[in-house]
Amino acid sequence: MKKSYFVTCTLCPMGCRIEVVVEDGKILEIKGNECKKGEKYAIDEFSNPCRILTTTVRIQGGLLPKLPVRSTEPIPKKLIPSGVKEVKKAKVKAPVNYGDVILRNIFNLGVDIVSSRDLEKENKEEKNG
Amino acid sequence: MHEVDVVVIGGGPAGMAAAISAYESGIEDVWLLERDYWVGGILPQCIHDGFGNFVFGEMLTGSEYAQRYINKLRETGVKVRPNTMVLKIDQNREITAVNPSDGLIEVKAKTIILSMGCRERTRYQVLIPGSRPAGIYTAGVIQRYINIEGLMPGKKVVILGSGDVGMIMARRLTLEGAKVKGVYEIMKTPGGLTRNVVQCLEDYNIPLHLSHTITNITGRYRVEGVTVAEVDPELRPIKETERYVPCDTVVLSVGLIPENELSKMAGVEIEEKTKGPAVDEQMQTSVPGIFACGNVVNVYDLVDDVSESAERAGKGAAASIGGKLERRKTPIRVKTGRNVNYIVPQIIRNKNLNESTRFYFRVKETEKSVRVVVSANGDKLLEKRERIVRPPEMVRINVPPDTLDKIKGDELTIDVEERKK
Amino acid sequence: MNDKNPRVIKKIQKTFAKMSFPNIEVSLEGDVVHLEGSVDSWDDVVRLGYQAGKFKGVGEVVNNVKAKGVVPKKETRQKKKLTTKIYPPKLPKKADVVVVGGGVVGCCIARELSRYNLEVVLLEKEWDVGMGASKANSAQVHTGIGEDSGTLKKELCAKSWPMYEKLTEELDVPYLRNGLLVVMTKDTFSGKMPSFVGNFLSKYLIPPFVVRKGKIVGDKPRVVKRKELLEMEPNLTPRALVGVFHPGYALVCPFRLTIALAENAIQNGAKVFLDTEVTGVLVEDKKVEGVVTNRGMIEASFVINAAGVFSDDVAAMAGAKEFTIHPRKGVILLFDKEMESYITHQVSLLKFPRDPHTKGGAVLMTVDGNINWGPSAVEIPDKNGREVSKEEIDWVFEKYSSALPNFPKSSIIKFFSGIRAPTYKEDFYIKPAKNVRGFVNVAGIQSPGLTAAPAIAELALDILREQGLEMEEKEDFNPVREGIPIFEKLSSEKKREQIEQNPLYGKIVCRCEHVTEGEIVDAIHSPLPAVTVDAVKYRTRAGSGRCQAGFCGPRVARILARELGISEEEVMQKGDGSNLFMKSKVRKRGGKHA
Repeated sequence: MKKSYFVTCTLCPMGCRIEVVVEDGKILEIKGNECKKGEKYAIDEFSNPCRILTTTVRIQGGLLPKLPVRSTEPIPKKLIPSGVKEVKKAKVKAPVNYGDVILRNIFNLGVDIVSSRDLEKENKEEKNG
Repeated sequence: MHEVDVVVIGGGPAGMAAAISAYESGIEDVWLLERDYWVGGILPQCIHDGFGNFVFGEMLTGSEYAQRYINKLRETGVKVRPNTMVLKIDQNREITAVNPSDGLIEVKAKTIILSMGCRERTRYQVLIPGSRPAGIYTAGVIQRYINIEGLMPGKKVVILGSGDVGMIMARRLTLEGAKVKGVYEIMKTPGGLTRNVVQCLEDYNIPLHLSHTITNITGRYRVEGVTVAEVDPELRPIKETERYVPCDTVVLSVGLIPENELSKMAGVEIEEKTKGPAVDEQMQTSVPGIFACGNVVNVYDLVDDVSESAERAGKGAAASIGGKLERRKTPIRVKTGRNVNYIVPQIIRNKNLNESTRFYFRVKETEKSVRVVVSANGDKLLEKRERIVRPPEMVRINVPPDTLDKIKGDELTIDVEERKK
Repeated sequence: MNDKNPRVIKKIQKTFAKMSFPNIEVSLEGDVVHLEGSVDSWDDVVRLGYQAGKFKGVGEVVNNVKAKGVVPKKETRQKKKLTTKIYPPKLPKKADVVVVGGGVVGCCIARELSRYNLEVVLLEKEWDVGMGASKANSAQVHTGIGEDSGTLKKELCAKSWPMYEKLTEELDVPYLRNGLLVVMTKDTFSGKMPSFVGNFLSKYLIPPFVVRKGKIVGDKPRVVKRKELLEMEPNLTPRALVGVFHPGYALVCPFRLTIALAENAIQNGAKVFLDTEVTGVLVEDKKVEGVVTNRGMIEASFVINAAGVFSDDVAAMAGAKEFTIHPRKGVILLFDKEMESYITHQVSLLKFPRDPHTKGGAVLMTVDGNINWGPSAVEIPDKNGREVSKEEIDWVFEKYSSALPNFPKSSIIKFFSGIRAPTYKEDFYIKPAKNVRGFVNVAGIQSPGLTAAPAIAELALDILREQGLEMEEKEDFNPVREGIPIFEKLSSEKKREQIEQNPLYGKIVCRCEHVTEGEIVDAIHSPLPAVTVDAVKYRTRAGSGRCQAGFCGPRVARILARELGISEEEVMQKGDGSNLFMKSKVRKRGGKHA
């Protein structure tokens, strides 16, 4: 049974709507792409779409209450919502440096969650609005 | 009164890049004034990726992009003053600013670089009728609440506007536990990058309703719901299509407006189309010694372009102090040709430039298979092929310095022409 | 009851029958007409009320006619008890006078009462004073030219307007006397007669008439010929023919005035309780014994009913419902300060026939420099119905662009509505209750209620005296109240001093209006504390600029939470149920905020 899946390519402003025709789990053909890069994109998006995970975690004693973090590599798209929940369990204390590892090897994917910025300790005297 | 060579107003990506660039061009006496309690501008609250593809060759988060510039800034001798609000600039480049530790500060600047960025269009400016309860926010504001303050503005959200900020927040709200009931867009095509339509809306099954708008907000103390309707080709709501959508939060992503109050105070000419100062290839405005860069000039899509324009402004300010700018006999006015909405820079004042001038422009309508043509007084100077051009995505074209120098007349036009296959 | 009265009833019924409403029950209690029945629409209800009120011998109208399909809206918000470090205080058990309603009239009365050795308590059901019509009007100090002669509105307005200069100085409230231009144009009589006739009337016959009206109320008006008119206001429509300038007309900040009156009353010993709603009035032997509120009971022999649009409901609680309030909504459009010098005087275009229920509105400015247009006027059944409709916005745009045809409408920064509280006789109703000693109705307040507040308060006090209240003047009454410094308006020297004294004055929080953290903190800790985001806005202007709190919103919320010792999730925009934030499902609660 042939089935068609559609992906919108994001590599360039064309935004081609690419059709991936599949039968028995095997890709039969790719159509709708204007270039070769789009073909590879469609294959990746269909078989294993991945995204960079970005979120914030609570940080104790920092200048701000939240620390933005990111995954070092893209992870499977379907794991993003649970990934966010997992990351939020981390206990982080200020000060933190840009690149510090917050959570190592999330879901055993070989990908770390690292800090997206420096975040200093809060200055107790200067608590302003 | 202090006397300073370069005063940069606004410490976001534009201000930071401009200050660094002025310093690296040899000017040691550079001040950077920032009203928030840290520099970075809007970037620290942009925790999503998509930044720096061109400048760093990596897909960074906004906060990472900012951190890299903050680190660079630390290495320079630029004097950064946070918590400092500029109250006024007069026509003699005298700046009055205020902060808690220094009190009132008065500075006479040799050159000023305006990089105040932009603010968001409000519910009132788009005339959405209804009540005025708590729970109506612009997208940038809730981005700050969620990502910086760690607060949730609401649970059931309706978003008006499919610009990039609106779509980014649709995803963010969803990942933080809110239910985004839909994104409503008045035009018939999305307002932001395709990447965001896919990764923010499609990925999370958030419905995108094109050709729709909000016609009423209900709720006395807190938002209780909105009325949405389809619009006709003239963008007028069609009453018969009105539907009530219960929600507790309305997020507006209906446009950004360059913040040019200070620019106007300083006597800088503002262009109607861009809502920002008309600038030359050095990013100098109509007032000698006052430069502008970043979103205050026009709203960019990519921060990489903001940084590039800011670097130019920094170099321009340095060159102007060093007396290194050579004026053309007649300035070249940049004209919008076929399917071009606006172009930055709007004027070429100098010659013997030491690098190419990058023109940024936006088209009026989406077109596929086109050719961007730069011509002067009828002669074609260069052209570039584009597969597609869309209003939400700025187009860039570089013109080498000797090409500009050779122009005898006073006009340069950029057209977008159809490419016959 | 004399024998004229049954005739009045018959006359009214006949009129109603002619209007196709034969089934309305009409009765008379003293000189108050009572109407009962059912009609199709709210407009019909209002029409009946007016018609009944027009008859001679009818003092007021109690209109209980119901409109089919108009269901009174249920109050859906949840009331939560919010305890903050500084508010709210406990209610006293007794008071000499209880003032119900913290609008400009109620606060003015409280201030006047605080001149005497009396326990004065003001009760306001919202989380700040002035939350009704007092903050949502065109902020004009009228001279009284627009009022019908013989009305209390005209009398008290004419008495009050000269008091404003001194009053606003004492209370440290912004006041600007820039005068009003009443302008006759080619459209003043349009459609009703040939244009040359209309223009003739406009240029020669109407102006002296308008001048006379101004003189009667104590002003010094003068005719302004077209040339001078267009020099005074270059942006005025070229269809202008002639104007009359009323120099007595001024502008005031209505909410800062209301707050200042309340603060001065507090400074002189009065007590103000917010979030305190009167739910009952205790009456025994035809005398007031006290009031019941959501926070407890207060014994008192004298009650002033200044509850604005709810004053008929409060009167009913005391068995003193001698009038009915029919809410009339007005919408005003506010424009960017950038347009500040587009006009320099208040401008009102004269049009005949006159709309009977508004003064015609104006294009004018606020004391802070925001040009504004309006108001409109629409009768509504819901006392809380402040939604602004597209039709109202369009109507205001259309009507006032005739005065300023080239004005950039895109410079709009806000629209809002206010609800007037008129009775069916369309005049102030300031009287002791007929059957309840000690209960004084100060109701029917519509324009020029803001202007007339000082004289209204004087009249209210006279009535209290007549009712038997012992009023011994205080020796140490201090009429002077100092407000929070407005940083933006200080000289450079004063700015430096202020920051040295308090570094928080060096931190700008509202970028549009240049409001500092110092002002916001001082507002939160003022004699009448600001405990909501809107209360901060009305005291400092933070959030009233072009970005409408886009920048300062998060910062003001943080400051409020910090100063009040509450969590950000408890911070309210304007009262219960208007919290800005909700608890997140994803993150775990716990740990202190910065």
